[in-house]
Amino acid sequence: MTDFAELTTSPIDIGSVARRVIPPDCGATVTLDGYARGFTKSKDGSVRETQYLVYEAYEPMAIKEMQKLIDAAKDKFEISNVGIVHRTGRLEIGETSVVISVAAPHRKAAFEACEWLIKELKRTAPIWKKEVFAGGEEWVEGESLPSE
Amino acid sequence: MKIQVLFFGATADATGERAKRIDVLAGANAATLVDVIASDHPALRRHKLLFAVNQQYVSANTTLNDGDELAIFTAVSGG
Repeated sequence: MTDFAELTTSPIDIGSVARRVIPPDCGATVTLDGYARGFTKSKDGSVRETQYLVYEAYEPMAIKEMQKLIDAAKDKFEISNVGIVHRTGRLEIGETSVVISVAAPHRKAAFEACEWLIKELKRTAPIWKKEVFAGGEEWVEGESLPSE
Repeated sequence: MKIQVLFFGATADATGERAKRIDVLAGANAATLVDVIASDHPALRRHKLLFAVNQQYVSANTTLNDGDELAIFTAVSGG
């Protein structure tokens, strides 16, 4: 029943992440299951089919940034525990890339904290996604920067 | 002074390397290192770059110290 931030190259068991954050004083756990999407819409509106994804992390810094987000979320929201697990390596379409579980006495804070955590993780955690598609591959560059 | 430079994702592809030890004069910053590296690997300049020193985000003009680990990468895209 503690917080955790981890990286793994193995498939993530979503239910076990959620269960690890549940303390007895809580009434709700909100869990985000983020997974590899098979189609990507580009800025010009065209849609491309992705064959698989590769995630790479600057591991020690990614863990630190995720731990910072957990600390910040616990200051900002009325929540008890947070667990974050992010997958790296090759992911097939539909496989889970990230799980964020937030346990709280009441569900509203858990929903809000979970939304805030994924938004911030996508902005600050040094993890990169490569989309591999028919005829090529491309590292996705994020839209917003940590300093913004 | 010696700086350990790390590349990830697009910057690793642009330079063909993941880690490189670079000798620079005292007073160098991340922008100086990019100039040095981009002279061999101009593809690095096609990206908007972010920097971390010893696993903390810094701006391009932060002065480096001997033995620092400088990570050079593009805007993150995890999640």
